[in-house]
Amino acid sequence: MQLDPRDRVLLQQVQDNFPLDPRPYRVLGEVLGMPEREVMGRLTGLSRRGVIKHIAPILEPGSVGIRASTLVAMRVPEERIHEVAAIVNEYDSVSHNYRRDDDYNLWFTIAAADEEELLGILEEIMRRSMIPPGDILNLPMVRRFKLDVRFRFLAEDDDDGRG
Amino acid sequence: MMDEVDRELLRLTQDGIGLEERPFLHAARRLRISEEEVVARLRRLRQTGVVRRFGTRINPRKAELVANAMVVWSVPSDRIAGIGAVMAESPDVTHCYERRTIPGHWEYNLYTVLHCRDREDAHRRVAALSRATGAVDYRVLFSTEEFKRRPSGRIEPAKEPERLQ
Repeated sequence: MQLDPRDRVLLQQVQDNFPLDPRPYRVLGEVLGMPEREVMGRLTGLSRRGVIKHIAPILEPGSVGIRASTLVAMRVPEERIHEVAAIVNEYDSVSHNYRRDDDYNLWFTIAAADEEELLGILEEIMRRSMIPPGDILNLPMVRRFKLDVRFRFLAEDDDDGRG
Repeated sequence: MMDEVDRELLRLTQDGIGLEERPFLHAARRLRISEEEVVARLRRLRQTGVVRRFGTRINPRKAELVANAMVVWSVPSDRIAGIGAVMAESPDVTHCYERRTIPGHWEYNLYTVLHCRDREDAHRRVAALSRATGAVDYRVLFSTEEFKRRPSGRIEPAKEPERLQ
């Protein structure tokens, strides 16, 4: 998907610094030198193309009662991967679930109020999926160094040829 | 830190505000408060850290960042704080966590996620992280299918959502 330069400027701005104002798109327009209508039009286009999922508050998990989280890896027979992924996805406590090209091919996260709740969910997934314990890695979080899902839309070219 | 109005406000906005001139009007009407108060409450929630960030959730695959690389690193435990801090500083890294190991079976204790333009780009950036930190024992796991991806902190719907209407 090609983003045009004005889309890039806009994406960078709304990602990093969305104005909390009754007329946020007008404020964005003032910052970027774009009419409010263009801001809304471009964001609508980016949203239709799926680049933007939505504009929303991202909550700090700890502030809404999440005290325990883990990453789980499973070795799932290739022919069962969609079936097992669907079981895992049923749980609200599962926020991310990916297939990865490794011996351990299914990776998902569980976030819960405490360790006990977390283990209860994991045990239920194990029982329902019938993946043996020897094919599962439970990797609880010890420490968070960073969680900042933001992307660079500008100056990408500055990185070319580096490293 | 949060009162009941704040909770309802987050519930009403966590799946996205509208792309209209006054996107906070809907929440203001539902909560019977002014748009100014909606905005002031969101600002305060951001300042106090309940809201980590307010902005767009982007689908990296649709934004030219098609390679999602999770890198698992095995680093000496007495160096993990320093190495973790260096990796967290890198703008390439969106997540960086220390996780428990399974001794004798799975010794990786540091996890980073990078969203890159392609696999070659990812390998190049991971190699740079390795050089910067001296961490040499690692594996790069690329995602090949996304089954689910959403924020892990959510306020679940009220039991009786109709009570606000």
